[in-house]
Amino acid sequence: MNIPANLAKSCLLATVIFWVIISSKSIDPDIILFMFLSIIPIFIVSTIVILSTICSVFWLAENADFNKKQVFKTYYPYYVIIVFGICVFAIISSGFDLYIIAFFSSVFITTNQSWVWFAKETQK
Amino acid sequence: MKHISIFIAAFLFSILFFEKNIGLNLTIFSIVTTVLLVGYNSKKFKDKTIILHALVYIFTALLVFIQHSSLSIITNCITFFTLVGVVSEQRTSIYVHWLNGIYTTVAGYFHRTFESNTDAKKVNWKKDIDVLHVAKLIGIPLVFILVFIMLYKNGNPMFNNLVSRIDFSFINFQWLLFTVLGYYLFNNISKPVQVDPATSTDLKTQSTLFKSGTFSEEKLKKEKQLGTVLLGFLNLLIVVYIITDIIYVITGETISASAFSSQVHSGINTLIASIIIAIMIILYFFRGNLNFYAENRALKNLSFLWIFLNVMLIVLIAIKNQNYITAFGLTYKRIGVHIYILLTFIGLITTWIKVLKVKNLAFLFRRNTQIAFIVLLVCSTINWDYTITKYNLNVAKSFDIGYLINLTNRNAILLNKKKDDINISSADKHRIETKYSKHMMALAERDWQEWNYEMFENETKFNSTE
Repeated sequence: MNIPANLAKSCLLATVIFWVIISSKSIDPDIILFMFLSIIPIFIVSTIVILSTICSVFWLAENADFNKKQVFKTYYPYYVIIVFGICVFAIISSGFDLYIIAFFSSVFITTNQSWVWFAKETQK
Repeated sequence: MKHISIFIAAFLFSILFFEKNIGLNLTIFSIVTTVLLVGYNSKKFKDKTIILHALVYIFTALLVFIQHSSLSIITNCITFFTLVGVVSEQRTSIYVHWLNGIYTTVAGYFHRTFESNTDAKKVNWKKDIDVLHVAKLIGIPLVFILVFIMLYKNGNPMFNNLVSRIDFSFINFQWLLFTVLGYYLFNNISKPVQVDPATSTDLKTQSTLFKSGTFSEEKLKKEKQLGTVLLGFLNLLIVVYIITDIIYVITGETISASAFSSQVHSGINTLIASIIIAIMIILYFFRGNLNFYAENRALKNLSFLWIFLNVMLIVLIAIKNQNYITAFGLTYKRIGVHIYILLTFIGLITTWIKVLKVKNLAFLFRRNTQIAFIVLLVCSTINWDYTITKYNLNVAKSFDIGYLINLTNRNAILLNKKKDDINISSADKHRIETKYSKHMMALAERDWQEWNYEMFENETKFNSTE
């Protein structure tokens, strides 16, 4: 598993989604510095979430008879339904706060794409 | 062509739902969804089951417009997942339809991205790289240009002035993002996908029990003896309970609401425990080869008697609940008790069929889930707030006016019409008038996307009285 590449791509994707959603309301030039600085906490959060919830599934389930494609097909559907439920619950509970929407939307899309990137490594 | 129709649907999605409440928009969305599903899966829509599910979905969409209740909205959402799941694979159980429907709605795009990379990589790899390259060519310079424009704005007042003249305020970026969400949703459901192990396992699972290879008569005989003794005593016990309960119901005196409430609730708790244990006992004894044992007649008859007596228990609880409603009025909780009683009754009937026709646990899950779904559909056809109010004002011996006022605005017109005919305080009358006027004001402020049949009807009446 190419974890560093996956984490780097995921961090970039999460940062872009997060700031695109936040900027959709209004954009302030002074915030650009924070955009770059936000890469650090986003990278930390992405790393923790991906290592603990996605990599752990591959580490535990993948073996000689059960390849990445089968791991994806077996566990990904349930993972994505649970993550979707958590994200929707958090967004509704927050009263549709923009920052919460941005955070959980980026979590949802990034974790999904991260699964696809890990599973695609099979073909290499 | 595929992308154009999804773009149009996504555009409609934003027009219908952006910063709007639920109403006519959900009905139109359901119709658009059905048209899109038919367009992309025209071959599958030749199947009668799928057509029926599509019609039911449209029906629930009309219910949202007519009833405009939370229940009708929930039913519409569940029917949406069912329809998408049926298009994905129509031969599976209803709960697998839901699973496939939710999965498709939430992550159909990502699933297909993975699948297409697996299957079509050899054919389209060059094309994929071209698309990626074009995306990079547009995306990366765009991001950097925007970043540098914002940085240079602070460095040079003339440049700042020039950039400030560029006005994008006519573009609502949140609206655009909402359209992207709509595109993602319609793209997901355009080609429904399956949760692979669950779907294939469900397709392989039959509803009928078969005799297993190991068949020990001695073991079955002992099991039958245990079952007969256990069910015999349980039948005896329940008969005694039912006799005492019938005597109590016949000779029952009028008691306070709280005592009546506690009796009905304790009766319901007894019923829950009794029915669950009854079904579990029957499922345990009829889980395997005892179904095919030649001398199982007595045990089967005792099971049927046990089911029948539990049905009697249900009838008694239903009578108590109905007496409670007649005396103290209709509420959502009391309706819920009646619905629970109905579902329990159906559960017992399906258990009886399971024993009679030698079915397995999958049969029970499949049939009971289907029936629960139908009950939900039927319940969503009723305007409960209006029904509760009408019943309490016209039939019930006593009722709680505060409860009726606190219901949704769907009873505002009726309450306002009846407020002078019922014996209530002036404070309550004032609350009813406030509720009515607020409802009428809300009617005037609604956009066309939020319209529903009741509001349309009310507005017509309101305009005629003006």
